Amino acid sequence: MGTSPESRVNQTSRTGRLPKWLLWSLVTIVLWGTWGLVSKVASAGMDAYVNQLLYTAGLAPLLVFVAWTVHRQSGEDKRDGRAMGIFWAFFTGILGGVGNIFFFQAMVAGGKASVVAPVTALFPMITVLLALIFLHERLGRVQWLGLGLAFVAIYLLSV
Amino acid sequence: MHLWLGFAITALVLWGITGVTQKLSTNRISSERSFLWFCWAMVALSGAVLVVARPHWGLGTLAVACSVAGGALNGLGAWTSFRALESGGKASIVISLISLYPLLTVLLAVLLLGERLTWTQTAGAVTAIAAAILLSMEAPHSSQA
Repeated sequence: MGTSPESRVNQTSRTGRLPKWLLWSLVTIVLWGTWGLVSKVASAGMDAYVNQLLYTAGLAPLLVFVAWTVHRQSGEDKRDGRAMGIFWAFFTGILGGVGNIFFFQAMVAGGKASVVAPVTALFPMITVLLALIFLHERLGRVQWLGLGLAFVAIYLLSV
Repeated sequence: MHLWLGFAITALVLWGITGVTQKLSTNRISSERSFLWFCWAMVALSGAVLVVARPHWGLGTLAVACSVAGGALNGLGAWTSFRALESGGKASIVISLISLYPLLTVLLAVLLLGERLTWTQTAGAVTAIAAAILLSMEAPHSSQA
């Protein structure tokens, strides 16, 4: 806040030779990339609903940790519109969870992890389209190209 | 169209909408609090699934372990992505880089599950990953906001 992205990058803390942001990004790739694999293995032995239930059980320890973190910072987050912020966060969780069920169902229905994961990773195309239509945001050339490629990808995977 | 593809596209539409609703949330509260309520919604949804869907039980250990691990991996991934952004990474770079995660899934699925892709599917998967990266890049005007 109040500093340009460039200066924030220059202030980036480092772990050994890797900047911390790069390390966290690589860890994220490993965690989410592995999630696609284990979801396929789980889908071979259960339906999508049970998968979502057990998924939530796996999420529980992190929920406790984040709840503890938020409790410690409770005095720092008293911005206007907090109730609406919580409403949108909760709604995001419901949409995300129902999305998970369809993701698992795609694998139960025979979708390969190596195809379902790239297809569902196209979700920013919907975000971009919604921002274009409802928020009247303008897209850069790169995003237009991404949007076009997203439709090409879906076509290639549907034939 | 294959049935599985219909389910996958529905998932991408729902997750795509969360891109907007999450923004509406974090415009008002911290990313930690937003993530906390995101998790509570998952718990509430699980309660509804238990009541409405009446799921079948009797599951193998490997499947259960993978499903529980899935929740932990995905949740931790969200948490580490926040850390990446808070550690000074530019959003346009961090999010584009993270969009590479399906590449690892493809690699693991081919190596460990023995999945085989046709040439068309390979082209589709590669195009999808490229598209996800391009879509995650910030438009020039939004980076100045």
